[in-house]
Amino acid sequence: MTRTDLWNRVEPLLAGVERPARYIDREWGASHCEDAGYAVALIYPDTYEIGQANQAIAILYNALNALDDTAAERAYLPWVDMSSAMREAGVPLFSLESCRPVREFDLVGITVPYELTLTNVLETLDLAQIPLRAADRSDADPLVIGGGPCVYNPEPFAPFFDAILIGEGEEAVTEIVAAHRRAKEAGLSRVETLEALSRVPGVYVPSLYRVLSAEDGSFLGVEPIGSAPARVAKRVVADLDAMRPPVAGIVPFMDVVHDRFGIEVLRGCTRGCRFCQAGMVYRPVRERTADTIVRDVMAGLACSGYDEVSLTSLSTTDHSQLEEVLRRLGKRLEGSGVSVSLPSLRVDAFGVEMARLVSAGGKKSGLTFAPEAGTQRMRDVINKNVTEEDLLGSVQRAFEAGWRRVKLYFMIGLPTETDEDIAGIGRLVSRVLHTAREATPPSARGSIRVAVSVSTFVPKAQTPFQWDAQIPYDEVRRRQGVLRESMPRKGVDLHWHDAEVSFLEGVVARGGREVADVIEAAWRSGAVFDAWTEQFRLQRWLDAFESTGVDPATIANRERSEDEPLPWDHISAAVSPRYLRSERARALAGTTTTDCSFDGCTGCDVCGELGVDIVLGGASRG
Amino acid sequence: MANGEFRLRVRYGKTDRLRWLSHLEVIHTLERSLRRAELPYAITQGFSPHMKVAFGPALPVGTAGLEEYLEVWLTRYTTAEEALARLVAATPAGLAPQAAVFVGDRDSSLGAALTIAQYQVGIVGKEASAAQVQAALDSVIAEQTLEVVHKGKNKVYDLARCLPEEARVSDTESGSVIALTVRMGPEGSLRPEVLIRAALAAASLDASVATTTRIATLVETEGGWARPM
Repeated sequence: MTRTDLWNRVEPLLAGVERPARYIDREWGASHCEDAGYAVALIYPDTYEIGQANQAIAILYNALNALDDTAAERAYLPWVDMSSAMREAGVPLFSLESCRPVREFDLVGITVPYELTLTNVLETLDLAQIPLRAADRSDADPLVIGGGPCVYNPEPFAPFFDAILIGEGEEAVTEIVAAHRRAKEAGLSRVETLEALSRVPGVYVPSLYRVLSAEDGSFLGVEPIGSAPARVAKRVVADLDAMRPPVAGIVPFMDVVHDRFGIEVLRGCTRGCRFCQAGMVYRPVRERTADTIVRDVMAGLACSGYDEVSLTSLSTTDHSQLEEVLRRLGKRLEGSGVSVSLPSLRVDAFGVEMARLVSAGGKKSGLTFAPEAGTQRMRDVINKNVTEEDLLGSVQRAFEAGWRRVKLYFMIGLPTETDEDIAGIGRLVSRVLHTAREATPPSARGSIRVAVSVSTFVPKAQTPFQWDAQIPYDEVRRRQGVLRESMPRKGVDLHWHDAEVSFLEGVVARGGREVADVIEAAWRSGAVFDAWTEQFRLQRWLDAFESTGVDPATIANRERSEDEPLPWDHISAAVSPRYLRSERARALAGTTTTDCSFDGCTGCDVCGELGVDIVLGGASRG
Repeated sequence: MANGEFRLRVRYGKTDRLRWLSHLEVIHTLERSLRRAELPYAITQGFSPHMKVAFGPALPVGTAGLEEYLEVWLTRYTTAEEALARLVAATPAGLAPQAAVFVGDRDSSLGAALTIAQYQVGIVGKEASAAQVQAALDSVIAEQTLEVVHKGKNKVYDLARCLPEEARVSDTESGSVIALTVRMGPEGSLRPEVLIRAALAAASLDASVATTTRIATLVETEGGWARPM
């Protein structure tokens, strides 16, 4: 096996770039097993400071390095100053630990965290000197395998990957490596290797599927070629508590996002918000127990030296033992200067009480609530089971307890939305402001801040709204105008998402394989780091749609019929289409659905389909 | 100790790849090392409690340091040897602590005490011989002041004050190395590269700075210069 160490060519470039700490490795906790016979490069296709805290990569890094004779190393996409210096010097993309060219690894794993990082995936491959498309790779190239949150409609990026893992990776990754090693030992060709990989549950090999179209070019479906499964179902770990989270992870030198010890306290959320892809695709709910959480937090802090721990999940305040966990951690961490943080709060008395527990005696930085919509009608449509009384009660408690800042998340462009619903956001924010003032002593009212963040709804695959039309971006701008008009003039910091960015997210979220051509054309015209506002140029994408003949409006802004084939029909997140249709019907009727982790089963079919069950740490949620 | 705290002074290096860290990154990394070492560090009182720790003069990104200093206040006594051993075991190799001693409460702070820095600056290029570089440096130093534009501001350095010792240049395999001593203080601390780049430019030499290492950080005493521990 070739093992080129590029460090002597990388180091001379560092004096000329921003933040060289991105490229130097040697952090506490980095794993060095350079002699292993099999090597995996795990890549987050954005800068080091964005990707370093990614928990999925940390989990896979640990799991792979624990395997015999296997090394996992990290790579990130260098910032534009470094990538141009590397291209000029002829230095290919390298891993951090051994500073080896990524193309020398056996397997290259790339996570796709967000629709607009796909041009970064191409930039990563190109900088690594690996052909962009699986079809152009030879036996000398590594296997390029994708994963992450975007895989529930993998078609827009399917041609760039040899294989894509659907679902949770901690068990599957070991099986993938074993299958690849067996294939190598048997001397299998690339095609034979991919066929072997397609037999690993959860692995989707795009080249083993063909896209069927009618004569007029309309989409008819995706069907397997040969022995590949007709439907690839997501992988799921039955017992999260049996998988110890990485407690001896990497501690970065530089400031990164989420620069703290993060521990996943539960996985999945069954609140059933109908717009939320994460809530649909990460089912069922599996909690870790209070004992293992407390044990692993203490171990993680001791191993890392962090002064903050975050209890992460989609809905941490739903954990059945959260109060016990916070009380025990409070006792253990007293006087250490270590703080505990919760990512977001349930909009009720319990949520505020939990925030009080973690802030006891310390800073009260600000609370975040997500009512998502401005009227009860709209909240019932999206199944956001929060009332105005819940929100105002939470705000009152928070401001009475000493908080002065609150951040509220809303969406516009939801199915059935009217201008009246948008104006409702402004009215609700006015009431929040009023409640906050009433609950605050007059002398402190000057420091009250209400931040309002409004994003545009993007319909996602595998959700009840997967058939719905996204509103076009000129209409988004008009509704943003209605929103601005409705907002109180004073005391509110209003932010909204860029309409053009949301439009592109929508095209990638529900497009078919033809969108890969668009992504490649956009990248070829210079699109990279599209998730960075200052780098994003809509025109590059409009040109790319033009040159590839793909109509983005047909993908994003068209309502689909429920019996029309969808580009992701061959990928299953285990929530049944029957359930999605019934949830959509209930949405249109304004009927809400309960949460099965609190009340009874609501029939999404995940548990039966995957042979798993809800796992709670305590006796029940309440 | 008067306030029941024990002030531990630690010497460490900033070497190898870790010379690419910024001062803030060094601080964060060593604070995390102190926590991993489970030393009984004191916490500041106040609204945002944090570890009671202080660092010597900053090193820029890319500059290595062989003898850098930090101080941490401990709430319980542990021997300096034990504290050092625990700290070494919890610190990335490039920032490895070398020695630790307890110092008195009334000793002046590291920032105030450490006023002398000795550097070695490697020069490479076609015209990087010791004789050429020495002549270039001497002629800039003979001007007595150095005017530098930094972030849009003009700054004038008094070279007699900044350079308490003559710069000496010697040949190496790839060019030359400059031994330069700089006085640091509230009036400003001259970065060696700034002086050297000005000298190389003024003499139009085809030569550039390859590496900069601060080999010692010292206190001024009546008899001369000394390590702070």
